[in-house]
Amino acid sequence: MSNTEAGDDAAIFSDAVQRILTDTVTALAIENAAQRKFPTALFDALAQSGVTSMLVPEHQGGTGAGISAAVAVMRAIGAAAAPGPIVETIIANVFLAKARLPAFERPIALAFAAETESLRGSANSSPLTLRDVLWGGLVDHVLIVFRDGNARIALTHRDDWIVTPGGDAADEPRDVLVSRNVPLACAEIPDGTYDELFCFAALLRSGQILGAIEWVFRRTVEFAMERKQFGREIGKFQAVQQMLAELADHALASAAITEAAALETSDVLIAAARSRLADAADAAIRIGHQVHGAIGFSREYALNFRTRRLMAWRDDYGSVPYWNQRLGERFIGLPREAVWPAITDTKAEPIVG
Amino acid sequence: MENRSLHLVSPRLPAAAEELRREVRAFVADERESGRLAPPDKVGMGFSIDTTRRIAARGWIGLTWPARYGGQERSALERYVMTEELLAASVPVGAHWVADRQSGPVLLKFGTEEQKSHYLPGISRGECYFCIGMSEPDSGSDLASLRSHARKVDGGWILNGRKIWTTNAHRVHYVICLVRTSKPPASRHGGLTQFIVDVKAPGVRVSPILSMPGDHDFNEVLFEEVFVEDSAMIGKEGNGWNQVSAELAYERSGPERWLSTFRLIGELLHVLGQQAQPATRGELGRLLSHLLALRQLSMSVAGMIQQGMTPNVEAAIVKDLGTRFEQDVVRVVRDIVAVEDLTRNEGAARLQALLRHAQLWSPAFTIRGGTNEILRGIIAKGLGLR
Repeated sequence: MSNTEAGDDAAIFSDAVQRILTDTVTALAIENAAQRKFPTALFDALAQSGVTSMLVPEHQGGTGAGISAAVAVMRAIGAAAAPGPIVETIIANVFLAKARLPAFERPIALAFAAETESLRGSANSSPLTLRDVLWGGLVDHVLIVFRDGNARIALTHRDDWIVTPGGDAADEPRDVLVSRNVPLACAEIPDGTYDELFCFAALLRSGQILGAIEWVFRRTVEFAMERKQFGREIGKFQAVQQMLAELADHALASAAITEAAALETSDVLIAAARSRLADAADAAIRIGHQVHGAIGFSREYALNFRTRRLMAWRDDYGSVPYWNQRLGERFIGLPREAVWPAITDTKAEPIVG
Repeated sequence: MENRSLHLVSPRLPAAAEELRREVRAFVADERESGRLAPPDKVGMGFSIDTTRRIAARGWIGLTWPARYGGQERSALERYVMTEELLAASVPVGAHWVADRQSGPVLLKFGTEEQKSHYLPGISRGECYFCIGMSEPDSGSDLASLRSHARKVDGGWILNGRKIWTTNAHRVHYVICLVRTSKPPASRHGGLTQFIVDVKAPGVRVSPILSMPGDHDFNEVLFEEVFVEDSAMIGKEGNGWNQVSAELAYERSGPERWLSTFRLIGELLHVLGQQAQPATRGELGRLLSHLLALRQLSMSVAGMIQQGMTPNVEAAIVKDLGTRFEQDVVRVVRDIVAVEDLTRNEGAARLQALLRHAQLWSPAFTIRGGTNEILRGIIAKGLGLR
C-alpha cells in the first residue's frame, strides 16, 4: 500500500473516531470500566463506524483499510484512554475472515494460546486454562488461536467457560477462563496467520501505547506552564525543562519507529517499535508523574488513566523482554559486514509464521 | 506527531536513494577487498586524503549542490543514505566531512558568487577541507560570550583571538571563524560575523591538544593580527549568530550523531557467533530498537531539510538521543563481553581494543557539537517553555 492510500484510510476514520471518543470516553465511562462495566456506548459506536471490522477485506463485509490506518485509529483511542477490547475485536474479526467466517459487530475477547507466558494450552488440553484474557468474562465470545499442529481458531461462547475475575494496572478486566468442554470446535486458518496477526495485534497496541505517551507528554508540558511555585511557572525551571525535553525525545522517537512499523509491517520494525515504546512508556510514567507532583497521583486526575494503561499495555502481545529478544535474535550470528544491511533492509524479511 | 511544536515526516526513500545505496555498498566492498578498509579497532572518523579523493571521484561530496559548483543536484535524502552507508562501514571520511556537511552549505546559503565558485568546486573534488572555529577557552556552551574579534581596516579585517577544540585544524585548509565585529547591541547575539581564514595565513598558529584517549584531533588555534580581505566575510556583518544557527540542523541530525559506536555492535556480533544467552539477546534487541528509531528520526530530519524546513528542535532531539545511545552501546557491549566471556574468542583482541577506545571516547559524545544540556534547552524552547 502506498503512503497516500494509508493517509486516506486514516483520514476517513479520524474525524468519526475523534467524535466518538469525545462523546463516549468520559471519566465516568473509564471508572465504570474499572468496575467491570462494559463500555457499550463507545464500543457500539466504533462498531457502527466500521472500526472493529476495518481490517476485514471489503468482499467479506469489512472496510478493507490498511494496517497503518488501524494504527492511527488506535493512537487516537490510546490518547483518550478508551477502555474495552478494541484491538482484540479488530484482530478477532481478521481471524474470522481468514477462516471465511463473517465479522462480528459485538465485542470479542482474544487469546493467543501458547504464545506468551500467560497463555498456554492446546485445543485438547483438559481443562483448557486461559490467563489474563482482556474483558474475557464480560463479552459473549472469546476467540482462541492455536498453533500447535495446524494453525486454527476456536470461536467460543461465554457459557463454555468458568470465569475467575482479575484486573490489570488500569483495572480493566483480565480474567482467568477455565473451559467446561473440550475439545473445542475449531476452524483451520492459513499457515503463518498466527504469527502475522500476533504481530499485527502487537502493532495495534503500539499505536495505543504511543497515543497514551503523546497525551502524557502534551498534558505534562501544559501543566508545567500552568502550575506555579516559587512565584513562577514550574516549566521555567531548568530542572523541569530538562525532564520535559527528555520526554519529548522519547515521544518523537517512538512516534518515528511506530509510524515506520505501521507503514512497513516487517517483524523487525514491529519488534523495534514495541521495544522502543517500552522505554518511552517507562519515561512517560516517570516524568509525567514527577512533573505533575502530588496532583498527578490522585485517582481523580486524568493522568493516571493513561499511565496505568501504559503499565498494563507495555507487556501485551509479547512482553518487553519477548520483543527485545525477538529483535536481538534477528542479529545473532551475523558477520560484521551483514549487521548494517540487516538494519536498513528490514523489508527483505516479511513476517513468517 | 500531534504536538504542534514537533514535526515528523514519514521518510520514504526515493528509488534513486536505494540505487545510490547499492553504489556506495559496492564502493565499500571494493575498499575492503583491496585491503584499504580493515575492520576497525578504533571509533571516530578516520582522516584519509586518498579515501576522500576516491569518494569525490564518485561525485559524493557536495552531492546536493548545484552542478555549476561541482555538485550532483541530488536530494537531502540521497545524501543521508550516502553518509549512513559510509559511516556504518567506518570509511574514513574525516577530511571532507565538515566541508561537505556544513561549510559548503553555509557558503551556498550565505556566500557570495565569488566565494561559491572559489571554494565549492575544490570541496567537491575532495581537495579543499574545512574546520569549524567556534569554541573558545572561555566560551563553550555560552558561545555568544566569545571574545575573538575582527577590526575593520582598509580592504579587509584584522583578526585577533583564540579558538579551541578545533578538530582537524592541523590538516585542513580553512577554518570558518565566528568572531565579534562590534560590541553586542541590545541582543548579545548581534555583532558576530563569520570569516573564512586560511590556516596557513601569517599570524595563525595551530597547536595540538591531545584528547583523553591520546589522539591528536583537537587543536588550539591562535590568531595574532591576521589580515583577511573583505571577500573573506561570509554573509552579512553582524549576522553570524543567525548563520551559525542555520548550520545546526545539518550539524546535529546526521547519522554521525548515533553511529560513532555502531562498529562496536558489528564486532560484538561477529565475535559472539551463534551462542548468546537470552539476556544477551534481549539487551542487544533493546539497543537495536533505539538505533532503528534514531535512524527513522534522522531520516525524518533529512526529509524536512529536503522540504526546505529548518528542523532545529528535531535535530537537537536526534543529537540528544543519539549521543546517549552511543554511550549506552559502550556499556552494553562491555557487559556482554563479560557475561559471554568473549575475551578468549577468536577476534576478541580487536573487539577489546575497539571497546577500550570507545570507552575512552564515550564522555565526549554528549559534549561535542553542543552539550546535551544545551540541546535540551533548545528542545524546551521549542516546546514553548522558555
